[in-house]
Amino acid sequence: MDIAVIGSEEFVLGFRLAGLRRVYVADAANYRERILEAMAEPSIGILAVDGKDLENLPHNIRQRVMDSIQPVVVPVGSDESDLREKVKRAIGVDLYKTEE
Amino acid sequence: MSVHEVTPTRSVLLDLKRRIKLSKSGYKIMKMKRDGLIIEFFEIMEKAKKMRESVTSDYELAMEKITVAMAVEGEIAVKSAAYALKTEPTVVVGSKSIMGMMVPKVEADLSRSSILTKGYGVISTSAYIEEASKAFEKLLETLVRAAEIETTMKRLLDEIEKTKRRVNALEFKVIPELEEAEAFVEFRLEEMERENTIRLKHLKRKGEAAAE
Repeated sequence: MDIAVIGSEEFVLGFRLAGLRRVYVADAANYRERILEAMAEPSIGILAVDGKDLENLPHNIRQRVMDSIQPVVVPVGSDESDLREKVKRAIGVDLYKTEE
Repeated sequence: MSVHEVTPTRSVLLDLKRRIKLSKSGYKIMKMKRDGLIIEFFEIMEKAKKMRESVTSDYELAMEKITVAMAVEGEIAVKSAAYALKTEPTVVVGSKSIMGMMVPKVEADLSRSSILTKGYGVISTSAYIEEASKAFEKLLETLVRAAEIETTMKRLLDEIEKTKRRVNALEFKVIPELEEAEAFVEFRLEEMERENTIRLKHLKRKGEAAAE
């Protein structure tokens, strides 16, 4: 399976330098279509995304992206708010809060 | 099941008793599963936290390096080096089981190529680009490990939620309803028994009166 990356031209360039070939360049206007396209691809195992881009997505799509297991979406350079929310919902306690 | 839907007979009572016993043992097992999953989750959460942190720090470092490379060499040079790369990292996604739940096990083939086999020229490419490339390779490695842990964590959380809902449904809905139905059937049967006794006494009295 492949590792893919999606994001702005600058974000993607670094990953190209690490050898990645599955690259989706997207700007704010077509980000939503591009990420859904990347997620529908069965050969992608891991999808690296810029955490800042995710914040601009509509809530339901962001939820879908973060809950996805095939591919696994790993946000880079963002805080843990998405996981924190999930933990809060499943366990019932905000586990991240106590250690701040 | 509503109380009024059950027919108060002995066979129904037996059936209800059997179902209550089954539900209770199921409830116990589910509760144990939930607790087991939560213990597992706490272990993985620590790892996930550390992983996120290292992804962020690696990312910042890599971004710094590539910015320096672009500033020194120009964007075109960095881009051309990036496009010239030959090796492509791939991952193999296997699976392992945690309490009967399949979680992915990601193994990456991230063989770091030496500068000579990378694809771009050694002389034309500066050390800054090489450094940036190294930093991103490291980030990629961290990302792959983070991916495994995060998926495991997401799966665990989903499973915990599901199990919790089942436990609660059994505890607060299924078992109380069954017990209520059982109490109703028992009460009705006792009531019928009493009615019968009275009826028999009545008949006996009548019989005696007729004999006299």
